[in-house]
Parts: sequence; C-alpha cells; structure tokens
Amino acid sequence: MTGRHQANEAQKRKVALRNLAIVTSCVALLILLFIVSMNTGYIKLSPLDTLRILFGGGDDRENLILFDFRLPRIVLAILIGAGLAMSGCIIQGISQNALADPGLLGINAGAGLTVILYVLFCGANSFLSIFTLPFLALAGAGAAACIIYVLASQKGQAAAPLSLILTGVAVQAGISALTTVLAVKLDDSQFEFVAAWQAGSIWGSNWQFVLALLPWLLLLIPYVLMKARVLDILNLGDDIACSLGVAVRREQRGLLAAAVALAAACVAVSGGISFVGLVAPHLARRLAGPRHSILLPVCALAGAVLVSAADTLARASVQPTGIPTGIMVAIIGAPYFLYLLAKSK
Amino acid sequence: MSSILTKKLTVAYEENLVVDELDLALPHGKITAIIGPNGCGKSTVLKAVGRILQPRNGTVYLDGKDICSLSTQEVARKMAILPQSPQAPAGLTVGELVAYGRFPYQRGFGKLKPDDKKIITWALAMTKLTDAEFKDVATLSGGQRQRVWIAMALAQQTDLILLDEPTTYLDLAYQLDVLELLYNLNRKQGSTIVMVLHDLNLAARFADYMVAVCGGHIIRHGTPEEVMTAEVLRETFHIEAKIVPEPRTGRPTCISYDLI
Amino acid sequence: MQDCLAAKIEYGRSHRLQPVVSAKGGTPPKLNQTDKPNQAASAGKKGRGAAWLIIAAGPGLLALLMAFSITRGAASIPLSAVWDALVYFDAANTSHLIIVDLRLPRVIASALVGAAFAVAGAIMQGTTRNPMADSGLMGLNAGAGFALSICLAFFPELGYSKIIIFSFFGAALGAALVGGIASLRRGGATPMRLVLAGVAVSALLSALSQGIALCFNVARDILFWTVGGVAGSNWEQIRIMTPWILGALLGAIVISRSVSLLSLGEDVAKGLGLNTVIVNLLCFLLVLILAGASFAVVGAVGFVGLMIPHLARYLVGVDYRRIIPVSAILGAFLLVLADLGARSLNPPFETPLGALVALAGVPFFLYLARKYRRVL
Repeated sequence: MTGRHQANEAQKRKVALRNLAIVTSCVALLILLFIVSMNTGYIKLSPLDTLRILFGGGDDRENLILFDFRLPRIVLAILIGAGLAMSGCIIQGISQNALADPGLLGINAGAGLTVILYVLFCGANSFLSIFTLPFLALAGAGAAACIIYVLASQKGQAAAPLSLILTGVAVQAGISALTTVLAVKLDDSQFEFVAAWQAGSIWGSNWQFVLALLPWLLLLIPYVLMKARVLDILNLGDDIACSLGVAVRREQRGLLAAAVALAAACVAVSGGISFVGLVAPHLARRLAGPRHSILLPVCALAGAVLVSAADTLARASVQPTGIPTGIMVAIIGAPYFLYLLAKSK
Repeated sequence: MSSILTKKLTVAYEENLVVDELDLALPHGKITAIIGPNGCGKSTVLKAVGRILQPRNGTVYLDGKDICSLSTQEVARKMAILPQSPQAPAGLTVGELVAYGRFPYQRGFGKLKPDDKKIITWALAMTKLTDAEFKDVATLSGGQRQRVWIAMALAQQTDLILLDEPTTYLDLAYQLDVLELLYNLNRKQGSTIVMVLHDLNLAARFADYMVAVCGGHIIRHGTPEEVMTAEVLRETFHIEAKIVPEPRTGRPTCISYDLI
Repeated sequence: MQDCLAAKIEYGRSHRLQPVVSAKGGTPPKLNQTDKPNQAASAGKKGRGAAWLIIAAGPGLLALLMAFSITRGAASIPLSAVWDALVYFDAANTSHLIIVDLRLPRVIASALVGAAFAVAGAIMQGTTRNPMADSGLMGLNAGAGFALSICLAFFPELGYSKIIIFSFFGAALGAALVGGIASLRRGGATPMRLVLAGVAVSALLSALSQGIALCFNVARDILFWTVGGVAGSNWEQIRIMTPWILGALLGAIVISRSVSLLSLGEDVAKGLGLNTVIVNLLCFLLVLILAGASFAVVGAVGFVGLMIPHLARYLVGVDYRRIIPVSAILGAFLLVLADLGARSLNPPFETPLGALVALAGVPFFLYLARKYRRVL
C-alpha cells in the first residue's frame, strides 16, 4: 500500500514540476519577445536602452515611444492572445472538436460587423467610445453565437458538435458577405479602416484600449478557470457528462457565452484575428495534457506568445507600416492547423 | 435499491417516432438485457431512461419519483450510464478518468478527499486496473479501455448502471471479460445492471431478465427462457431460430437460424 | 442496362444521403425499407422527362432572360433596341454601344461563369461524395485569388490569356491542399474534414494574398476580385475564356457517366470496372479549368456550385448524365439573375455579386448542415 502511495506522490510531483517548467518557459519567452519587440520597427530600442528607459532614464522622445506606443501595444498583444486562446480552448472543449476556433465560426465576424458600423458612424476618439467598443462587439458576437447555437440545436437535446462547426462556417460566410456589401458603400479612408480591421491589425494601440479590454479579461478568466472541471467532463461527451450529473445544456450555454464574450472583447480592439483560438489550445494540449485546470492557463500563455511573436514579425516585415498582425497569425497558424488536420483522427 | 419504471414513454427524433408509448418495469438487483434489431429503438429507450434524451411524451420514474423532478446531480448519484463508443481525450491517464466518476459528489474546485481516493482505488481493483493507474487510456486495448469506463461508472457509486452495447466492437475474449465483470458486480455488490446487447446468446447467458424490442414496442419481456423462443425471435428479428438449452449453463441458446 | 444503372444509383443514393436515425457505421441497409427496382425506374423516368424539358427549353428562356437583363441598368433601354443592336448594329447609336460594349459582354460572362461554377460544383459533389462541395468552400477561389495577387504584384503587365493560366494553377493549389490534407488520415476525406480544411486553406491563402497585396501596393487592384462581379467584362476576356469554359463543359458532359459511377463510392466504382485514378484526374482538371477561368473573370463568387447541383438533383434525379447539363443551364440562370440584381438593387452602384449570391447560399448551406448532421 505504501509503495503505491509513494508512486502516486512521485507521479504527482513529476507532473507539478513539468507544469512549473512550462509556465516558466512561457513567461521567459514573453519577456524575450518584449525585448525583441522593442528592438523592432521604424525606431529601434536596444535591450540596454529599453532597461534604461524602463527605470526612468529616458528622454521625452524615448519615453513617448516606449511608454505610449510600444508598451501598450505589446501588452495588448499579450492580452488579446490570452483571451482568444482561452475562447478557442472553451469552444473546443464544448464541441469536442479540436478544430474549432472563434474566428472560423463567425463569432469574430459578428463582433466585427457591429464594431465597424459603430466606428464608421460614430468614430472612436473619446475614451468613452473606446470603452463601449467591447460591449458593441459582444452584441454582434452574441447575436452570431445565438444564431449558430439555435440553428445547430435540435429540440430536446444539446447542440451536436458537428452541427456547431458547420453552422459556424456558414454564419461566418454570411456575415463576411454582409460586411462586404456594407464596405463597398464606403469612401476610401473608411474602406481602408474596414479592410485593416478584417485583416486583424491591432489598430487601437494605446493605454485606453488596454483599460477597455482589461476588465473583461479580469472578470471572465476567473469564471472560466472555475469551470475547468466541468470542461473536462464535457470533453468526454455529452452523454457521459449527463450521466455524471453535469447540467449539459446549461453549462454549454454558460461556457459558450464566456467564450463569445472573451473573443468579442479581444476582437473589438484588435480586428479579426483567426487561428489563435485554434493553434494555441493545441500547442498547450501537447505541452500540458488535456486537464483544463492546467490547460487553460498554459493555453492563455501560448496564445500570448503567439500573438506577440506574430505582432513583432508583422511590424518587422514591411517598413514603415508593417503588415496587419492578423495576416501574420494566419500565415503562422494556418499551416500548423493543416498539419494538425492531417494528423487527427 | 433503485428501480426504474416507465409509463407511456414516447421518444422521437424530429419527425421519426422511435419509441411509442412504452411501459417498462426494470427489476432491481438483477441484470436486464435489452435486445432487438438495428433501429428498433433500444439505445433510444436506454438514453431516455437515463434522461440523456428528453421524451416527447410519457414519464420515467426513478425510485417512484419522476426523473424530471430530480436534479441531474441527484440522478447521477443513483444512476450511471455508459454510452456506446465513448471517447477519451488523448493524454488522460486511467486514474484521472476514473476520478471523474466522483464528480456528482464533489464541490468547488474538486479536490479529491481521502474517501474519494479510497473509492477510486476500489473501482480500479474491481476492474483489475490497479497496475494501469498511470497509463494513458489511449494506449490500452479495447477491452481494457471498456473496463476503464466501467471503473468510472463504479466510482460513481450508483445502485443502477446502464450500458449501451458495452461489448460491440470488442474481441470475443474481451466481450466475456466485460460481461463477467458486470455479472460479478451484480452478484457481489447487488448493482442493478441494464444493458443493450447485440449478441443474443451472450444476453441469454448473463441476463436474469430480458426485454425484446422491435419498432419501438416491447415484443416480450421476462426471463431468458420466456424471451428466447422461436416465436419471439421470429417477431423481433424476422428469423426462424432454433433454440436449445446450452449444455453447461442451461440457458437458451440460438444455435442456428434461417430467413423466413 | 440504362434502367439498371439508374436503379443502382437510386438505391445507392437513397442509402447514403438520407438522414438515418441510428447512425451506426457498417450497418447493412434495411431490406424492407426503400427503393424497389420499379420505384427507381419510375423515378428515373420522371427525372429524364424533367431533364429533357430543361435542356430543350432552357437555352431559349436563358436568351430571353439575358435580353431582359440587357434592358435594365443605369440607363433603361427598350427590348426592341436590343434586337436592333444585335442585328442592325449602328456604331453611332449610344444605346447600341452600351448594349454591345457594356451589357452584352457582362451578361454573356455571367451566363458562362454561372454554368461553369455550377458544373464544377456538381463534379466535385459527385467525385468527393460531399454534399457540401463548392469552389468557394474547397479552397479553389482562394487559391486562384492567391495566384492572381502574385501575378499582379510581380507581373503586372501580363495579358489576360496568361492571367487565366495563373488562375488555373492557383485553383489547383487550393484544391490540392484541401483535398490532400483532408484525406491524409485513415477514414479519408470525410465531408466534415473537407469543410474544415477548405475553411483553413481559404483563410491562409486569403491572408497571404492580402499580405502580398499590401506589401506590393496592389491592394486596390486585387479588390475587384475579392469583391466579385462582372462589371468590367469586355469582349477580350470573353474571347479568351469562352473556349476554355465551353471545352470544359463539353468534357464534363462526356465524363458525366463516370461521375455517376464514382458517386456510388470509390470501391463500388472500381468494382464496376471504372479506372478511378484517371477519372479522378480528369475531373480534377475539368474543375480547375471551370473554376479557374471563372474566377479570373468574376472573382470570388461562391455557393453557386453548392446550390445548383442540389436543385438539379431535386428536379432530375441522381444520374450525373442529367445533373451536369441541367446544372449548367440552371447555373447560368442563377448568375444572370444575380447580376441583374446586383445592377438593379442600388443604382447606380453595383452590389457585390458574391455577396448577393451568398444571400441565398448561406441559408442553403445552413439547411444542408441541418439536414446532413446525422450522416456527416
């Protein structure tokens, strides 16, 4: 008996150490990316300069670049990556389909439609208007998600995973078409905004956007972490979850709502970025295993690393403007997704 | 001592009426096997009884109470259901999967209490999986994997276990392995077992009570001797069956059949 | 022999595409359920009649619709003027000029492209046995778009006849990626995996196209193809694309019997003596040509290949010898109507053609997803 108990404890220690190693590496990677990111772009700040400025030794111009442009931008990239990655992880758990992503399922498109309409007709200049963006995005994304859920469900049963995916793809196509129809009526500058949004350029890069996004993440992420075990069980299948006493439909709806809200809030400030919610959970799963209590945090970190890296690369690629981050994420993410599809059952 | 009773149970998928006004009383403390041809509604009956499907009409009574009036957690403490071909995500160990069986009894963050751990150890011992506790579920054979799911159902500590075709897709040896495990559970723990079985002879060999379903209706229910008859099989499966008592167990066995 | 083939197809079809309640793999079909041979034969007869009706009356009605379409637009032109312009063309008459230089090419382009997309979709649905196959969903449009962005960025002076070749290669790339990825695993290319692979490949190739367009400052040029429409059609384009499209349509009709056999399943077709490798290859080439040439003219218009084959199947049955020609005609109808709508809804602005077709296409796709949920 003691022998098994010891083996048990040894196993648990091994797992805990491994998880710690993963988290530490991710954080280290983020810090490295931060330094590299400072050194990229039209004006380069070397690592030593960065440290100097951070501790108050910079002149006005350097302070402006670091604290008002670069720092909020990378913080945003980290937050957006974390939020979108968690959103994808939840949707994958609910739909038991490892190939789900809020960008591919019309949720981002729905958020985009409302954000675009709002910015075009009201502009996004004041803090108040920026603050309301995530709410509007949530309205659009929520509407899209409701349509998907309703259309994919059958009377008396929870929505079948396959249905959710297919319906999502259809809704995505529909909303894109609608957005195109609206976009053609715009003048040049408005159209450029829409195009940039759809490509996923992190258009809002100052502290106001960070403050607008942060409350959403601070509220939703703890809720999701609390539901980690429920997600574990939903991932075993609706029937088994029902057998184990999970109120499947209610939990599905709650978790889906959280996923939609996370994606919507992120997309409101970043534009349409796909594939993070797809690729990050997969990476995380390979590193940390399928249990959501550790999977969700690692997933958030993986997403943060992915989007920060993509953002840095995007800014480094074409001077002086760089290409939209969403494009770079797609270029990194889509081949990995195709590789996963090729290997999956 | 849980008992299941259905009254006028009607289940439909969209427009297709699959189960039509079924009245069923499942004996507690016994092994019941539900048999019938493909598409006759036997899995549907099991799912409706297990509250996984909402019936169009009629009621399912668990211990005399309408199952809809009980919370899903309460039901989970009395009844465990194992669906067909369950899928475990990759990277899950046997111990972790069996631990999920304690979910209906857990609160908050779900830390396993010493009682929980004892039950899990017991479940693993019952299904002879003690040595496999830290192995990845995906690396096990089909038979072993099925035993893991049964261990999870055992960890749920219910009087009633429902299984939907637990032996389909398993090799012959593993089929017997699983059925003997369930038989022992019933005889030693007194668990009520209800299972949908594809193989008539295995059903007759292990069940105390059988229900033959066809087209959403019960053709016959009773002991294996009452159900495994040429007339019942003719009506249920449209075959002309030859039934003889099996030499070792004395249970009725279909040794051969012809088309009508 | 004909009835035998039709009966086989009816039987095979009815047991695969009908939503089945107990969806268990490998269950033999129920003997007491559906098609007896004479039922299949009578369904075949009804389909044949409808097919002949559509093939005979179709072109005539199409011509009338096209003529009507020519009369509508920013400047309304009477029908008589259309006849005059065609028969007694007068270069000095502005109405005649509008008709012949602007409207006629676009109407002809819509008809050709509609037929091409529809037939491409029909062939894809038949050979992949995926009821949701379509040039947009399977990555062909995105692939062609990617090739075009490369073309515009690096070879801006290329003539139309070379652009169309680029478009073929692009469509081939898209289709190969989607088909290849989806079928790499045991179980092959299920419709679900095809749809997912299609979405991912399309997203990747679109992102790459946009990236290239932004880097090389050709975003404005690419816009025309991203949005989709026949507005800029001219006789030059028509001259180049017509032989390709008509040739491929003819090829599709010739190969339609083999497609019927393939639609029963790869193994069944092999058992019946079909050389599936060659037929699959030929079908692939035909689809490329049809989708590629169409994209080069009209840009990203999806869902035509999704909807029309289903409509055709509903009207004339499951035999591809009838579905393919009927799809061509119905597809032409759809796009001419859609173009008419694009011009008339918000004059003098053009509503994007792709978006307009999507208006009908998306609900239809949702309906399909619902209908086939248990089978997929």
